[in-house]
Amino acid sequence: MSTLAPAVSEQLVAPWVEWARRYTRGRRLLEAGTYALTEGAIAAGCRVFAGYPITPATDIAEYMSKRLPQVGGYYVQCEDELAGMHACAGASLGGLKAMTATSGPGYTLMHDAYGWSITNEIPLVVVDAMRVGPISGITGAPGQGEFYIARYASHGGNFETIVLSPSSVQEAFWLTIDAFNLAERFRTPVTILTDQVISDMWEDLFIPEDYDALDFVVPRKNNLMMPFYPVGSADLDVPPNVIGHGTGVCVSAYTHTEEGYDIEEMEAQWAQTYRLINKIRHHRDQLTRYETVGVEDADVIAVAYGANARTVKTGVLEARRRGVRAGFVRLITLWPFPDELFERDVPYVVCELNYDGQLVREVMRSAPDGKKVRFMGKSAELHTVAEVAAGLEGVARTGRIPELPYIWTEVR
Amino acid sequence: MTAAAKPRTEILISGFGGQGVIRMGQILGLAAIKQGHRVTMLKSHGTETRGGYVRAQLVISPDYVDSPVVENADVFVAFSAPAYKKFFDHCRGKILYDPEMVEDVRAEGPERHVAVPATQLAKERFNNVLFANMIMLGALTRLSGLDYEAMKKAMLEVIPRFHEQNLAALDVGYTLPALIPA
Repeated sequence: MSTLAPAVSEQLVAPWVEWARRYTRGRRLLEAGTYALTEGAIAAGCRVFAGYPITPATDIAEYMSKRLPQVGGYYVQCEDELAGMHACAGASLGGLKAMTATSGPGYTLMHDAYGWSITNEIPLVVVDAMRVGPISGITGAPGQGEFYIARYASHGGNFETIVLSPSSVQEAFWLTIDAFNLAERFRTPVTILTDQVISDMWEDLFIPEDYDALDFVVPRKNNLMMPFYPVGSADLDVPPNVIGHGTGVCVSAYTHTEEGYDIEEMEAQWAQTYRLINKIRHHRDQLTRYETVGVEDADVIAVAYGANARTVKTGVLEARRRGVRAGFVRLITLWPFPDELFERDVPYVVCELNYDGQLVREVMRSAPDGKKVRFMGKSAELHTVAEVAAGLEGVARTGRIPELPYIWTEVR
Repeated sequence: MTAAAKPRTEILISGFGGQGVIRMGQILGLAAIKQGHRVTMLKSHGTETRGGYVRAQLVISPDYVDSPVVENADVFVAFSAPAYKKFFDHCRGKILYDPEMVEDVRAEGPERHVAVPATQLAKERFNNVLFANMIMLGALTRLSGLDYEAMKKAMLEVIPRFHEQNLAALDVGYTLPALIPA
């Protein structure tokens, strides 16, 4: 379908805008998102993949099993996802960049390892290719059910997470490198929250010819000196610990001292929490990535992320063609949540691939008037352009989203 | 930067698993990329691949493709009766169908329907139905005015074996008398 929208401002805020401009020599391919996620990891210097295959992330494991031996890395097929992520944590503590990949049913199994990696400040990348649920749902259909699970990826509280979501195969490549960079700089696991459409979809993909020439890749540095954990600070770029080099680093699940030893003191609990939360909160300016279209003059703004952001964006342009001043916000950084993108006091229409309403709750919290925030939930299939345009037109003209089959609008 | 009108071509290919629907889309997409276009291809299928329903949705555009969903196909290739039935309403352009697979076509829009006896020709010429998808791709290339040389190059890159037969099959489709304007 061609849209005839009048020209409208468009902005993409992400480090790969500059990367793509600087690196133009390479190959143009038709490849899947799983391929792009794999190559992005290899380009970022990932040398260990440990995991357990699951649709729609299986191809990442398969590509990794082929690619890692070619670059001197290691592929480990584990007995389950829990073991997979723990093996990655071990590999990262041993000095190598590591990644695992799964879908929702495996992602929830990783939460013990996720908590370990957060509290021990172990850089890692975890891909969750979301499919519709609950639990196994439909293997070949997209969902966005792990928005909050990715935020609260461990029990016990007292932490922040970094979660990024790509909306194209090309973006999956650059964003994976970005995820590894952030994992290193912030010394924490980073989740790439993608979905079945992006991981399975084939799309034109530019791959730079020489990964070694990518000067923006943050290299792995190792911390061989005390203190191993800079508790009480919010400093970035503190290199992670390394074991096996006579460092005697102590790694445990307990609240720890700067040397990593268990401690049961209020002061230590405060210092550790201060660091785990504020090393991320104090540096949000380095973490927020997003795309906007025409938000300055919009009377209604559609909000989305991941695969369905693409049909939503086309829906916004279609609404504009119909005379509705519609805007568009696509989140790339999901967590920490970019509150500042929702400062305009206009109705927001949040489109996400679940019926319970997850992202919409954060927009309700951030927007000047939460009562003006509307929800268009769909499940197992992308929103169509027609649905989004009808929703935006409805809100702009009557203040309501019209009744549409398979669209859920209630948030409780 | 501005987001304005973006011309796009939507192609929908559907049939049973094993007919080479995805391969056909892959070659078509790669040929378009080689000519400098942007391409998306959604592929969907049931849990089982062989024998189950398969669909490839391609969008080709000079600019970045926002929505990868085919809602109004410019070309629809129907390789099975269930596919024809299921996706007829998603197409506003030409419908290429294999008459051996799709026996009953709707009465409406006869000028939009093009019968390409790909399965029959594959059996006759190559004694193997596996070449039906390349015959169909040849026909689609002719009908849509796509670059035939680019298509051949992309095919050779995508398909690892049987290059001669596949080239011949493309040619059978590309030179179908019914598709060549008098």
